[in-house]
Amino acid sequence: MRIETSRFGTVEVDDARTIRFPKGLLGFPNHTDYVLLEAGDDSYFWWLQSTQTPDLAFVVTDPGVFVPTYKVPLREEQIEDLGAATLDEVQVFVIVNKRENMLTGNLQGPLIVGVRERVGEQLVLSDRRFTTRVPLMEMANKVRAASA
Amino acid sequence: MLVLSRQRDETIMIGDAVEITIVDIRGDKVRLGITAPREIQVHRKEVYEAIRAENTAAARVQVDDLAAADRQLRSNHTRRNGAANSVARP
Repeated sequence: MRIETSRFGTVEVDDARTIRFPKGLLGFPNHTDYVLLEAGDDSYFWWLQSTQTPDLAFVVTDPGVFVPTYKVPLREEQIEDLGAATLDEVQVFVIVNKRENMLTGNLQGPLIVGVRERVGEQLVLSDRRFTTRVPLMEMANKVRAASA
Repeated sequence: MLVLSRQRDETIMIGDAVEITIVDIRGDKVRLGITAPREIQVHRKEVYEAIRAENTAAARVQVDDLAAADRQLRSNHTRRNGAANSVARP
């Protein structure tokens, strides 16, 4: 499958790699189909690229890397809805944003994906410990030349 | 907006499948019980809006914004733990 993307040009991906979010994402209810593109070799990040709109893509990451205490409680029905049989078949991602020098993760609205059927959903968590902007890492400033 | 008055234990129906019951009223706070089919998501509006707004902002991130992140993470010797599973039973 060939997809057009604004960030990466034309990308060739296996059809089987499509991830479907039947309810879309919050604010993007009609954008149901995506592929995960690696941000680079051995990267901590992926791009969740819409296959429907070239300009629509989100940086996502595995929250466990940055926030080891983070747990998303899932009910049986939620696991089933993803076409998964067990918790092990569910992968969690969070959408990453950048504000000034800080990369933040939306841990209040995680994306859960059943790896077998490649069906996903964005959850809204009521646990107030985790916000929509949990700091993940601060980007170091480039060294600036001293001004006269 | 349709405005109805209800007392404790009374219920409102929305369509055929959604029910909202006043479970408790205490001072300023109302506890609502909501019955809805699985496909209909029920959330506190401000949380829903916050996630929606954050999604919209995050959709503006470009490749350059990430450029130094991986280099920095590697140089901090953070191990990438793909096996960490952030899901649990409630």
